[in-house]
Amino acid sequence: MDSDIILVIVVATALAFDFTNGFHDTANSVATSISTRALAPRTAVTFAAILNFAGAFISIKVAATIASGIVDAEIVTTTVIFAGLIGAIFWNLVTWYFGLPSSSSHALIGGVVGAAFVAAGADAVKGAGLLEKVMVPALVAPIIAFVAAGSAILITYRMVGRLRPGPVNRGYRLGQIASLGLLSLSHGTNDAQKTMGIITLALIAHGNLGADAPPPTWVIVAAASAIALGTYSGGWRIIRTMGSRIIKMDPAQGFSAQTGGAAVLLTAAHLGFPLSTTHSITGAVLGAGAAKRVSAVRWGLAGNIFLAWVLTLPCAAFVGGATFGISRVFGDGALGPVLISASLLTLMAVVFGRRLQRGPALTTAVEG
Amino acid sequence: MIAAVDTSALLELVWAAPLAVLTVTVAWGLVVRGTTGALEARRQGQGLAVGLNALVAIVGAALFLTAVVFGLIVMTTK
Repeated sequence: MDSDIILVIVVATALAFDFTNGFHDTANSVATSISTRALAPRTAVTFAAILNFAGAFISIKVAATIASGIVDAEIVTTTVIFAGLIGAIFWNLVTWYFGLPSSSSHALIGGVVGAAFVAAGADAVKGAGLLEKVMVPALVAPIIAFVAAGSAILITYRMVGRLRPGPVNRGYRLGQIASLGLLSLSHGTNDAQKTMGIITLALIAHGNLGADAPPPTWVIVAAASAIALGTYSGGWRIIRTMGSRIIKMDPAQGFSAQTGGAAVLLTAAHLGFPLSTTHSITGAVLGAGAAKRVSAVRWGLAGNIFLAWVLTLPCAAFVGGATFGISRVFGDGALGPVLISASLLTLMAVVFGRRLQRGPALTTAVEG
Repeated sequence: MIAAVDTSALLELVWAAPLAVLTVTVAWGLVVRGTTGALEARRQGQGLAVGLNALVAIVGAALFLTAVVFGLIVMTTK
C-alpha cells in the first residue's frame, strides 16, 4: 500500500517537474522571437507548446535516464527520485522568480545527486559522470554558442547591412519562426523524455513494468501534455530576461542567437555530446549582442545568470538531500513523501495566492 | 577523471558547431539578400538582376531547408 502511494506521488511530482520544465524553458525557444516581434507573445508560446507536445512523440529512447552514470543505480529508489524532483522543482521556481535562465536538466541531476548522497553517502555519487554530463557541457555550451552566434551576426551584417532595413527585418523575423519551431520540437523531444524516463523507472522499480519495458502510452501522453501546458503558461519573467534585458536585439541578432543556439545544440546531439539548451541559447544571445557592441550587453545581469548556473547543482542537491533526509525521519513508508508533498503544495498555494493578489505580473505576457 | 570526457567528440564539436551555425547563417543571408535584391531589381525593371537575385535566394533556401531537415533527422535518430 505504502509503495503504491509513493508511486502515485512520484508520478505526480515528475509531471509537476515536467510542467516547471516547460514553464521555465519556454524562454529558450520564444524569447528572441517575441522581443524582435517575429511573433506575438501568446502566438509564440502557443506555437512552442504545440511543437513541444509533438516533439515528445518523436523519440522515446528513455533507457538511459537522466541520472545514469552520475549516481549508483543500485541506490535509486522511488523516494530518492521523489527527493531529486523536489530539489529540481525548487530550483526551477527560484530561478524563474528571479527571472534567471538555468538548466532544468542540471537541476534534476543536482536533486538526485543530493538525495543519493544523503541516502548512501559520497560513494553513491560518480564524480566522473558529473564532470562529463554537467561541468564540461556547462562550460562548453555557452562559449561555443557565444563565438558561433557572434560570428554569425558579423557575417549577417556583412551580407545584408547595406540593404533596405524593412525587407531585411521581415526576412529575419520569418527565419526566426523556423528556428523557433526547430528549438521547440527539440525541447519537447529532449525534456519530455526525462519525465518519461523517471516515471518509467519508478514503474519498473515498483514492479508494474519489466526491466526493459518501453514507457506506456499514458506516460508519453502525460509527459507531453505536462511540458506543453508548462510552455503554454509561459515563464514570462525569464522570457523578458532572455528577450530584452540581456540585450536589445534587432531581428538579425534574434535570428543569429536563436538559429546559432539551435545549430550548436543539434550538432552536439549529432556528435553524442548533449548540451544544455538554456546554456546554449543564453551564450548565443550574449554573443549576438557583444559582437555588435560589447557595451550593449548588460554584463551585470549576465554575471547573475552565470552565478545561477554555478549554484544550480549545489542548491538543487541541498534541497534534494534535505527532502530525502526529512522523508527518512518518518520511516521508509509513504508518510514522509505525503507530508512533504502536502506541505510544499500548501506553501506554493499561499505564495502564489499572495503574489497574484498583488497584481498580474507573474501571469501576463510581455509585450515586445 | 578527465578520461570520462569524450575529448574527440568535444574537439569535433568545437569546429563542427560553429561551422553549422555559419552555414545556416549564410544560407538565410542568401535568402534575405536574394529576395530583397530581386524586389529592388523588379521595381527598377532590371530583368536579368531579378533572375540572378532570385537564383541566389533559391540556393539559400535549399541550403537552409537542408539544414532544417538535417536537424529533424538528428532529433528523430539520437
